[in-house]
This record gives sequence, C-alpha cells and structure tokens, in this order.
Amino acid sequence: MLTALWHNIDYVASVVLFCIGLYVVIAKNNLIKKFLGLNIMETAVFAFIIALGVIEDGQPPIMTGDAHGPFASPLPQTLVLTGIVVAVSTTALALTLIIRVYRRFGTIEADELRELE
Amino acid sequence: MRRPIAISLAFLAAVPLLAGVAGLPVHGDPSAPVHTHVSARYIEHGVEEAGASNLVTGVLLNYRGLDAAGEVTVIFTALIAVLAVLTVASTRDADASNHDGRVRRSDADRRHPDHPVSPIVHFVVRLIAPFTALYAAYVILHGHVTPGGGFQGGAILGGLFIALTMVLGKERTRPLVRPVLAPWMQGAAVLTFAAVGAVGALLTGVYLGFPVDPSLRIVRDLMLIALEVGIALGGAAVLAMIFLQMEAS
Amino acid sequence: MSLTFDIFLLLYLIAAALVVARAKDLLAASIVFSSYGLALCLLWQYRGAPDVAMTEAAVGAGITTVLFLVAIGRTTRREK
Repeated sequence: MLTALWHNIDYVASVVLFCIGLYVVIAKNNLIKKFLGLNIMETAVFAFIIALGVIEDGQPPIMTGDAHGPFASPLPQTLVLTGIVVAVSTTALALTLIIRVYRRFGTIEADELRELE
Repeated sequence: MRRPIAISLAFLAAVPLLAGVAGLPVHGDPSAPVHTHVSARYIEHGVEEAGASNLVTGVLLNYRGLDAAGEVTVIFTALIAVLAVLTVASTRDADASNHDGRVRRSDADRRHPDHPVSPIVHFVVRLIAPFTALYAAYVILHGHVTPGGGFQGGAILGGLFIALTMVLGKERTRPLVRPVLAPWMQGAAVLTFAAVGAVGALLTGVYLGFPVDPSLRIVRDLMLIALEVGIALGGAAVLAMIFLQMEAS
Repeated sequence: MSLTFDIFLLLYLIAAALVVARAKDLLAASIVFSSYGLALCLLWQYRGAPDVAMTEAAVGAGITTVLFLVAIGRTTRREK
C-alpha cells in the first residue's frame, strides 16, 4: 500500500490539503477563516480531479497541426474549469453575508454569534 | 477542547481517503478508465465534431454545453444574491447611525484615501493594463486554438477592471461602462446562451444543439465564437460588479 | 517535469495551507492563500492543463483574494 501511495503522490497531497481545509473549517471560529479553509478544500478536490486526467508524458489536449499524443484527458479539465467559477461565486456570496453579519452583530466569531441568540 | 476533536476528525477523514487513493490506477497510467472511455472519443473525433482544436473549449461549449449554461446561470444568480444581501435596507442592522457614518467615511476615503496607493503599484498597474487587456482579448478570441477561452478571458478582464478600480478609484473607471449597458453586460453570458441555444434548437431540434453538417460549419463556428465572447463579457461584468458592490457597502 | 520539482511544489502547497490554518492575522492568511493559488497554477501547467492553470491564476489567486481583502477591510483583520 505504501508503494501505491508513493506512486500516487499527487493524490496523497490532495488528501492532505483536503484534511487541512477540513480542520480549518471545523476548528476555527472566525467565519472568514472558515471560508479560507473551505477554499482550500475546494482547490484540493480540483487538484485531485486534474491529477486523475494526467497521462504519462502527456501533452495538453490542444490539437494543433504538429501536436502528437498522448494527450491529457480534456474532461476533468473542463469539469474543474466549471468548478473554479462556481467556487468563486459561492465565496463572493458567503463573504457578503459575513459583511452583513458583522454589521448586524459587530462580530464574526462563531461562538460569540451563538451566545447572542 | 475543540482543537483536538477537529484534529482527530481530520485524521479520521484522511484514513478512508488514503485507502481509496491507494486503490486507484497509478498516476498517469494510459490504460486507466479515465483515458479509455469518453476521453478517447473526444481526443479522436473532438476536433471535427466540436469545431475547436483546443479540446477543453470544445468539450466545454459543445459536448457539455448545458454544463456551461448552468455555470453562467450560477454566477449570475450569485450576483443577484450579492446585490440582494448588500443593498436591501434592513432596519435591524446594529445601530444604524454608526452604519451610516461608516459608509460616509469610506466614500471620503475613496476621494482622499488615508493610505494612498504606492507609486510603484500605481505605475505598474497603469503600465501593464493595456497589455493585459490585449492578452484578454487574445485569450477570448483565440481560445479555440490555444489555451484559453471565454471563462479565462472573462476572469482576466474582470481582474484587470478590479485592479484599475483599486488603483485609480471608482471615478476614473466608471465611465468605462455606460450605465445603460451595465445590466446587459452582466446578463450577457446567460442571454448569449439562451440565444445560441434557440438558434441550435431551430437548426437541429435540440436546445444548444450544434449543426454537424459540413455545409453549416461556418454557422457552428459563429455560434462557438458568440458563446465565447458572451461568456467573457458576462463573466467579467459579473465579477467586477460583485467587487464594486462589496467595496461600496 | 522532474520529480524534485513536483515534490517541492506539493510540499509548498501543504506548507502554505498550514500557514493559512495557523495564522491569526487574516490579511496574512489571505495573501498566503493567494500564493497557494499561484503554486497550484504552476503545478497544473506542468500537469498539462494550461486552461485550468490560467483560470486558477486569474480567479483563484486574483479575484478570490481581492474579495477576501475587501471582506477583511469591511469587518476585522484579527482573528480572536
């Protein structure tokens, strides 16, 4: 199993990044910090999906005249392209909500917000 | 108390993930399922079927066009939500006087900033702005042959607008977009997808269908270029508007 | 690209993520997150995904960071 993990070092790095993001989301109280953690989780998933489409000695999937294979799979790249744009829109909406919460309650610490209720 | 629980949870989550990762095909293996099914077809027939040498653009706009249509709807909806959250007045906002004072102060900041932009940043942004704009146009219009396309170019354009706004101030960048045009540009991506989808429905009977007949190749290419330009303008306008709204709040 | 460079980039990513997790200063965390996005962009360029790398550089490292900076400017910079 360890040799399999060593060959799949890209996947392992994605898992580690995902878990760091998960830790930030669970453990931190600050809402902005939580969303930095969520962004780390998102990029870790993107890195994992991109790593799935990689091929040994692969070229980018762009078929100009003198390009020759093997080509990386275009499908994961397309999915990630979509995902990045969706990630930035969710982040924008979350941050505006955080700004609104700060104006209403004067704090963005999750435990202080819970005490206010 | 919370941190040990979080750390142990993170490690707990890592175990099944690592076990699953260890069972995947080796990184870069050409015989992995991802390379043998649909990707093989895209790579073999994608150029003549989708009409773009850059397969990512071809797959994004042609094979998975509905995906991209959903995506531009998502960012447009995010813009609407941001506008709703920030502009709808709430009587329950904590001490409204303080809130008003903050808004007025930030307006004053913009005219006479307490922390003026560093001359180096000012110079560099103004220096690279025309080249960035040219690069964005190249990325948008050449995206079917070289890396790039509508989303990439739109993001670059939006980033350029944001950088200029931060350095020069709102008064200098506002004239770039006429107020009449602004809502149309924010909806450009969604509207383009609707229009091109309707054209596709007329030609092929399927929403967002692209004609495959060789005699209609020029129509298909025009549809792809229209989608690219629409996505780029819409994406840039939505990102810039989100920034402007958050900045002005 | 060579394995050493791969490992360097992956280690940089993990180190940057840890710095984001540890930093008490939200402004510093956002800037480090921007550099994390740039390293990710380099990694994807070497993995044969230039389209995604371009998007990540513009959106992930650029616009997301600006949005975080604006939000920090409108709320607080210090994490309690």
